[in-house]
Amino acid sequence: MTAREILYKYRVIVFILLFLLAGSGIILYITSYFAGLLFILLAIIIYYGFHFLLKDKRIVLSEIKSIAKKMLIPLAGITIAVLIGAVVMIITGYNPLTAYGALFYGGFVKNWHVSLLNAAPLIFTGLSVAFAFKAGLFNIGAEGQYYIGAMAAAGLGIYFDWHPLVTIPVIFLAAGLLGSLYNFFPALLKVKTGAHEVITTMMFAHIARYFSSIFIRNFGGDPSTSSHPYVTDPVLPSNWLLRFKDMFPWANYRLHSGIIIAILTAFFVHYLLSYTRIGFEIRAVGSNPAAAKTQGISTGKTVFIALMVAGFLSAMAGVNQVLGLDHKLYGNLSTGYGWNGISVALLASNHPVGVIFTSILWGALDAGGQYMARTQEVHNSIVEIIKGTVLFLVVARYLYTYWGQKRKKKETCNE
Amino acid sequence: MEREKRKDGICLRMENISKQFPKVLANENISIYLKRGEILALLGENGAGKSTLMNILYGLYRPTCGQIYINNHEATLLSPKDAISLGLGMVHQHFMLIENLTVTENIVLGMEPGSWGFIDFKKARKIVKELSEQYHLFVDPDAKIEGLSVGQQQRVEILKALYRKATILILDEPTAVLTPQEVDGLFVVMRSLQERKVSIIIITHKLEEVKAISGRVYILRRGKLAGERVTKDISKAELAHLMVGRDVVLTLNKENRITEKKPGFTLQNLFVKNDNGVTALNNLSLEVCPGEIVGIAGVAGNGQKELEEVLIGIRRIEKGNILLTGKNISRYGVKKRIQSGLSYVPSDRYRYGLFLSMKVSENILASSLDRKPYVNGINLRLRVINRRSEELVTMYGIKTPSVHEPVSNLSGGNQQKVILAREFSREPVVLVVSQPTRGLDVGAIEFIHSEILKMRDRDTAVLLISMELEEIFALSDRILVLYEGSIVKEFDPGKTSHKEVGYYMTGGGER
Amino acid sequence: MNDFFTLFNVELLHSTIRLSTPITLAAVGATICERAGIVNIAMEGLMLIGAFTAVFFAYITGNPWIGLLAAVIAGGIFSLLHAYATITLHLDHVVSGAVLNILALGLTNYLLILAFGHPGTSEPVPVSLAEYQFAVPFLSQIPVIGPVFFNQRPIVYMSFLLIIFFTLFLYRTKTGLHVRASGEHPLAMETIGVSVYRIRYLAVIISGLTSGLAGAFLSIENSNVFTSGMTGGRGFIALAANISGGWSAVGSFLASLFFGFAEAFQYKMQAARLLDLPSELFVMFPYIATVIAVAGLVRKSRPPKAVGLDFRIEKQAD
Repeated sequence: MTAREILYKYRVIVFILLFLLAGSGIILYITSYFAGLLFILLAIIIYYGFHFLLKDKRIVLSEIKSIAKKMLIPLAGITIAVLIGAVVMIITGYNPLTAYGALFYGGFVKNWHVSLLNAAPLIFTGLSVAFAFKAGLFNIGAEGQYYIGAMAAAGLGIYFDWHPLVTIPVIFLAAGLLGSLYNFFPALLKVKTGAHEVITTMMFAHIARYFSSIFIRNFGGDPSTSSHPYVTDPVLPSNWLLRFKDMFPWANYRLHSGIIIAILTAFFVHYLLSYTRIGFEIRAVGSNPAAAKTQGISTGKTVFIALMVAGFLSAMAGVNQVLGLDHKLYGNLSTGYGWNGISVALLASNHPVGVIFTSILWGALDAGGQYMARTQEVHNSIVEIIKGTVLFLVVARYLYTYWGQKRKKKETCNE
Repeated sequence: MEREKRKDGICLRMENISKQFPKVLANENISIYLKRGEILALLGENGAGKSTLMNILYGLYRPTCGQIYINNHEATLLSPKDAISLGLGMVHQHFMLIENLTVTENIVLGMEPGSWGFIDFKKARKIVKELSEQYHLFVDPDAKIEGLSVGQQQRVEILKALYRKATILILDEPTAVLTPQEVDGLFVVMRSLQERKVSIIIITHKLEEVKAISGRVYILRRGKLAGERVTKDISKAELAHLMVGRDVVLTLNKENRITEKKPGFTLQNLFVKNDNGVTALNNLSLEVCPGEIVGIAGVAGNGQKELEEVLIGIRRIEKGNILLTGKNISRYGVKKRIQSGLSYVPSDRYRYGLFLSMKVSENILASSLDRKPYVNGINLRLRVINRRSEELVTMYGIKTPSVHEPVSNLSGGNQQKVILAREFSREPVVLVVSQPTRGLDVGAIEFIHSEILKMRDRDTAVLLISMELEEIFALSDRILVLYEGSIVKEFDPGKTSHKEVGYYMTGGGER
Repeated sequence: MNDFFTLFNVELLHSTIRLSTPITLAAVGATICERAGIVNIAMEGLMLIGAFTAVFFAYITGNPWIGLLAAVIAGGIFSLLHAYATITLHLDHVVSGAVLNILALGLTNYLLILAFGHPGTSEPVPVSLAEYQFAVPFLSQIPVIGPVFFNQRPIVYMSFLLIIFFTLFLYRTKTGLHVRASGEHPLAMETIGVSVYRIRYLAVIISGLTSGLAGAFLSIENSNVFTSGMTGGRGFIALAANISGGWSAVGSFLASLFFGFAEAFQYKMQAARLLDLPSELFVMFPYIATVIAVAGLVRKSRPPKAVGLDFRIEKQAD
């Protein structure tokens, strides 16, 4: 009996072990231990190794290769951006080593729970942007749909008094549908008049932002009081998202189940895009709308579906924040979830599962930045510069092929 | 003085030119020369590297290795600007004209008369007028390019080169878009230019043209030089052999096997507008029977594009009907037309045919991924899809590492085969094929032609739209001539000639 | 109702012109840029950079003119990133623009803290360009038109001159013709020896310069401080103005007037308190107007053929 056959015989046990490893990883992860993520990564590596031993080695190898290739550019981008950030810090008079140390310690160890809290809404808006991108559309106004979702969650959350197993799904659904509806108009204008969604969704985002101020005043915000003029009444505690502290007493008290919903949503979106008919049609339209037409795919319908699903996903981010973290709606602040959603989607090359990781990275940078600002007196907006640079370096991936080609050209002629 | 001395000398040499593209070696160690005042032909099939070589000469591409000498001086051609200043001019296969500018603006573009950065439009117009009179190339200097015929646009291109004082003129497939009559006109122009001591390089893949116009010919095959000959010393068969590397069977096995006329595909009094709202198809009627190939001959821009678009259902019908085996499908959307048995091979395969970033399997089954057995509810059944696409890949001999490869990584011929596999495997009742072999090499062309004939033998009604008269004559059972959006004449390919069809293609049949 | 009509006075038209200025400037830049074939949605960020730079230099030197100059230069330099990404690196234009907007927002926030020590708002500049408002002799005497057009502040006058300049540039100069041709058929330009890359770089830089000027208007002419994210979507409105204006300088100006009017009108309505509605409803007005304008006018004219498309000279051979 070869090693391969033995492995095959006991594959069930291996899978159970993998499942346990991944499961405990997830529990550790959601209860704010960074090590959990390492457990999950380990499970993934073992899974691929197992496949490598049992299945056609070439396919697994090429798969791993393509994943590694995809990872290479983001990693290179991050490295260069970190170096650029260091130069900026040196110029502006800080010690990059201690600053980065604090950034890492804060983001990934000390305040890991904050990183997760930051990541959850980004996963939703990132998925929203990525989903529209797959259909060749740029949902640049995700922030507007976020506000719509947040308003719906606050409005319903304050008055909707029932069992949480009913109210929470209903609020998610209602808010999501309102978000979809909000993107219905840009979709309609796109299909009927050709108005570019970059302009229309952006304008709609500004409209939603101002509308939220009106909303807040009508739901408890009082400009005449000096204490909290720009905030709604709190939502009913029964409508709060489940907090991890209720299950795992050692978890941080602010952590809530939104991150789980976000991750599950990401996997669902991945399934939707890669394994369903609608997903195929969306990708086809994104790849070549004219060809999609000649294959009997309705591009108009696809634009509607893509933008409305995107609206739904962004609205879920709003619900996540209101029911999970803040328990009320704050106003007059540019949250940046729309722009950051674009960042994490681009960084993940619009891959839904990739969005989870890039969102966590972004969340950790923010969390680490705050920690760094508190301990090192480096202002945390340096993080914004690092984020922007990472993004530019990753998105401009042709940079690497461009430099590569220049070098290659010289080589060929010397033969 | 210098010029007089080398009157019969060599004005251009290219030595050991190689060009490496990221994926292909387009030119490999090619050396050619050109004598002053000669007409030199560069013969080769599509993809042999002729255009690449000339684009290198014109400074548009940089050679990977090799040197170029113009008038015995080594020339570093970093951009067309350098080439132009050394007396080179090039008329590209796809015209380099800006459609919404006037003839004058196009000709003077880049070398406008005027001072302080401003353009002297009056002077420019005068120069263009004089130039066109001097060379007997008449065009209206104030006309916009979009309103000109293809032949007139070509004249503008030649004037553009002459305005830049070109002494070496490169013509890239100049006859591809012309009718036989316009080709004769072009040859007259070329000879008169030759008399004025302009040296001409003509790129072509047509043997007749080499024989008709050139004094000397270089033959290129798969990026390498396959031979150099004096034209009058070589026969067409020898040229063909050098070009392809083997003997070519130019006749296809075709026999008209249609016995009874059954209704297959009928277009009744079709009126269709183009993108600018101008009537493109004007009362067009035709009929294709099952088991018959009907060829639509015509000069580009006479409604071919609109015809194929209206048939598949992405362009609106103003008036008229499309019948498929007697059923009116005019109001059907694309999906319903496909389900009724219509298949379509588009002329522009990148625009209408392929999803370049997507997998071979997704491309090859794109129109079927909404029905059983490929979907189950909303789920794609990936195993069924992969198995079926692997079958089709083998059946049509598509060269690809796997069905998961993005189509963009395939060669042009294999990409076209992906489209054929998709459209032909649906067992269509009616097949609309437009420009199926554009830009492909001889091997792929032969394969595609035989597949089209196979479809006919399976009783499919085939409508073939093509700008290549050879293709039309080789495949069609009947030839219809499309001119300004109407069918002006019907021919039996056995009883007519290229010349006669060409005559009707340019509107010669009117009244 | 009578009160409502009194809103439509010379003052409203005067502020229409004033408030349309930043949009006009960015829109004219967008026209040049898109005529050359590059979509620039980074103008929002470019304006932000310009606005910050203007305040910073006006603050430390005490001279708003130096602030203005610095803003224009900063806009030009930052736009080089967009040019490099889209032209040399062949990045998707919209993606590059979005990324640069994000970068600009982060950068200005960081620099704001570095320079003034606190987030949100900068210190006011000692002298703003508002103090240089002047009436043009004779022209300002013309009834209605005089006070509306010829009693303005410096950057407003500059915008008038720039509209004339860019119209002449596009239709009368060699470079202008090259810009128009590059957006229609870039390869054709290369084949006659004109570098499309160079023309496109120039066009993107022009849009950077005008956006920088637009930013300076916002921070040191229309107000005297820099506020984080103070552009409020004007870069996108300018894009809409360029499209609604049919890709021409004059058209962009006219469309910008419409958006300027929407903004001026909403201020008036807010101030007049004629209707008992939340003020935010009026603030939304320009954004709604933009959506309507883009949707209503987008198909009226033909965009440059190659706009937004990547251009490479050496295409991969079959």
